[in-house]
Amino acid sequence: MSATLQNLVNQPYKHGFVTSIESDVAPKGLNEDTIRMISAKKKEPEWLLDFRLKSYAAWLKMEEPAWPNVHYPKIDFQAISYYAAPKQKPKLKSMDEVDPELLRTFEKLGVPLHERMALAGVAVDVIFDSVSVTTTYKHKLAEVGIIFCSMSEAVLEHPELVQKYLGTVIPPSDNFYAALNSAVFTDGSFCYIPKGVKCPMDLSTYFRINTEESGQFERTMIIAEEGSSVSYLEGCTAPAFSSNQLHAAVVELVALDNADIKYSTVQNWYAGDENGIGGIYNFVTKRGLAKGVNSRISWTQVETGSAITWKYPSCVLLGDNSVGEFYSVAVTNHYQQADTGTKMIHIGKNTRSTIVSKGISAGHSNNSYRGLVKIAPSATGARNYSQCDSMLVGHQSGAHTFPYIQVANNCSQVEHEASTSKIGEDQLFYFAQRGINAEAAVSMIINGFCKDVFQQLPMEFAVEATALLSFKLEGSVG
Amino acid sequence: MSASGTMNAGYLETLLAGQPHLPASPLAWLNALRAEAVDRVGVLTVPTQRDEEWRFTDISQLTKMSFHPVRTTISLQVADIERFYIEEATTRLVFVDGVYAPQLSSGITDNGVAVVNLEAGFAAHAAAIEPYLGRLTEFSDNVFAALNTAFLHDAALIVVPRDTSVAVPVHLLFIATQKDVVSYPRCLLLAGSGSAVTVVEDYVSLQEDAYFTNAVTEIALVDNARVNHIRVQREGAKAFHIANCAVTVARASNYQSVSVAFGARISRYNLNVQLAEEAECAVDGLALIAGRQLADTHTCIDHAMPNAVSRQMHKCIVGGSAHAVFNGKIKVRQGAQRTDSRQSSRNLLLTGKAHVDTKPQLEIFADDVKCTHGATIGQLDNEEVFYLQSRGLSETAARNMLTYAFGAEIIERMPISSLKLQLEQTVLEQTTVQP
Repeated sequence: MSATLQNLVNQPYKHGFVTSIESDVAPKGLNEDTIRMISAKKKEPEWLLDFRLKSYAAWLKMEEPAWPNVHYPKIDFQAISYYAAPKQKPKLKSMDEVDPELLRTFEKLGVPLHERMALAGVAVDVIFDSVSVTTTYKHKLAEVGIIFCSMSEAVLEHPELVQKYLGTVIPPSDNFYAALNSAVFTDGSFCYIPKGVKCPMDLSTYFRINTEESGQFERTMIIAEEGSSVSYLEGCTAPAFSSNQLHAAVVELVALDNADIKYSTVQNWYAGDENGIGGIYNFVTKRGLAKGVNSRISWTQVETGSAITWKYPSCVLLGDNSVGEFYSVAVTNHYQQADTGTKMIHIGKNTRSTIVSKGISAGHSNNSYRGLVKIAPSATGARNYSQCDSMLVGHQSGAHTFPYIQVANNCSQVEHEASTSKIGEDQLFYFAQRGINAEAAVSMIINGFCKDVFQQLPMEFAVEATALLSFKLEGSVG
Repeated sequence: MSASGTMNAGYLETLLAGQPHLPASPLAWLNALRAEAVDRVGVLTVPTQRDEEWRFTDISQLTKMSFHPVRTTISLQVADIERFYIEEATTRLVFVDGVYAPQLSSGITDNGVAVVNLEAGFAAHAAAIEPYLGRLTEFSDNVFAALNTAFLHDAALIVVPRDTSVAVPVHLLFIATQKDVVSYPRCLLLAGSGSAVTVVEDYVSLQEDAYFTNAVTEIALVDNARVNHIRVQREGAKAFHIANCAVTVARASNYQSVSVAFGARISRYNLNVQLAEEAECAVDGLALIAGRQLADTHTCIDHAMPNAVSRQMHKCIVGGSAHAVFNGKIKVRQGAQRTDSRQSSRNLLLTGKAHVDTKPQLEIFADDVKCTHGATIGQLDNEEVFYLQSRGLSETAARNMLTYAFGAEIIERMPISSLKLQLEQTVLEQTTVQP
């Protein structure tokens, strides 16, 4: 049986190809001039350049964090190119004007843009490397007053909004990679939902790292005004390169009174080959501020790619009765390393949070859940429920749990549960009895294991995630 | 950083000041061990909250006070300490401020069983002791264990030979009588193959001023041995108590431990248990604190070999503006298949200012294992309170009863009935709120 399983585990990365679009790449290295160059290229206002330079100054004083349970050769930040943009082209109005090469890329990824638009009614803000190339459904969204555009565009067209919220949830000095991102971020998505508006469709962005050796530093921001709601989807694939690529994104969410933000991610970046060579370093800071009363922020992530994943989508529950949720499936195989989890910071009264984390580690990989549940003295009546389950596939892998629970008042309820298990021979035997082969059985068991999380995903993502997991892992028990 | 480093160095020097006057031991290896420990103290610094292992426990107060090694020993009478005696445990070793008090002790030396102080037991057991003493407790990165080892000259020694079971529980009583003194209690328990023994490690105080207890306990279970280890920390209200305990559980042995922390201004207990094949351990703990107390328990259960079983239940009852810390690590090494491990951390906060930091941690490198852990923090269940009220109890009485029961669950697990009664009484007194 092992051989079958081995085969399944060792499926090559399907999305590994390089699109040859001419890129406008900045010389390698980072200094104030690089930042001025990025800012100038993007025609940014003075305050943003200041923000970048201050972040850079803060970054210089910071040390690379060593506490995560991941190991990798030291990153040479001077060997990275901090800006790569497809050659400037006039702004496009319809899909027909998009570079056919680019369209073919999405075709290969199985994400035909127009089909998606037609079938799913999804507006896709396509990020190709660092600059937004086309934005669909923008006009439809504009009708209800929703702003959904690239960050660069937002900086130019809605500077007052960007300036008001940029760095308020994740200050540049928050951590090493957030500071780096604040200094050199190139693009990302910007989303503003006005008061009382329920976003009529799921918003989606496809990120894709394309130029070899170019770190990608996205900056995404979602602001949900009073009484509004939005569901945002983020999906990622990247071509197979042998040298490591750094990805340090920052995502900030702000939910005001009664607002609701749902943020879903499927991440399937290049994870390196079976010997652990290559792959993306995914060092991401994601945080949502549930600022208003009764606001809700929900993170759902399916992490299957990247050589190293290091991210903790967090919720700061400031408003009374606000709700934070975190649903995660993290799969590691070969030599992948993942140190991921969440932070739930309860500050407001009667705040509630739920954490459901499922980790699956196969091959020589290591998968860690690291979470913080902090109940401040002011968070009376707070409630948290956490569940983190790990599944090990093969005896060379590791699963780790580091849950920090800090409670500072006596009228809150915190529960944490964790378990570790494997797919039992008896379970496989049961399936075999019913004529289901090991491959299909494991796929079913794993999908069952992750069900609680997949249920949280929007429909089309759930389908994709199920398929992704099946091809990454199914049958990998021996 | 450098400023605090210098301060630390000065502080450690002060603590080390008494060390050179220790009489040299006739055993060369023991002198070498001490010298090694002194060297380590020279290299290490006092941990701060910047160290992950100490991030919730601020011991800066400890470093602000100057403690000196005991200079004069106080001679106590049986009447002074009788109230600490445990009825069943007639075998008793008493240490006053860390110094052995023979007139108060009643050890055993017969049929190869030894319950004696280390100095008396050296001659007969030197060869048996050497592989364990100072070897089970890793002091290369633990400044408090290194300090204790630097001062190692006497200790409580329990040697139980092969296939022998010691019928009477052994009571190791450490009494603090002087203020501003630092004492270095040390215990070594060697349980031979197929042996069985019950030991009570008990820290008490006759005075309420500040002092510092820095204890190290080492326990080795050879194949098929069974050890019941009870630890009672009821130090004075201003005391500092830092203790390290290392246990190695060999094949098919069984280690049962119940530790309770009631006393001390700041206490810290590190327990490391390493399990070999088919070994079993049950590690339970209770911290019952109030006022401005801080009780910190760090445990590490290391499943080094296959087929071992571990169970852990740690409870904290926190009142006043006290602070409880629990960090329980379960480690399953590569190849330690069919490990079965269960851990639970349950915490009860009695007041709005009380606070708990808990971190149940799993590190697993084997696939065929069953590991679960759980943690809860909260207050009494209103439904339970209501149920008792419906049976005619006042709300206060109902709450008192439930709080008591929460703590008593751990005490219940002790195998000595008189001690159980004594400690249950303490829990009752401390958790009872007058209506």
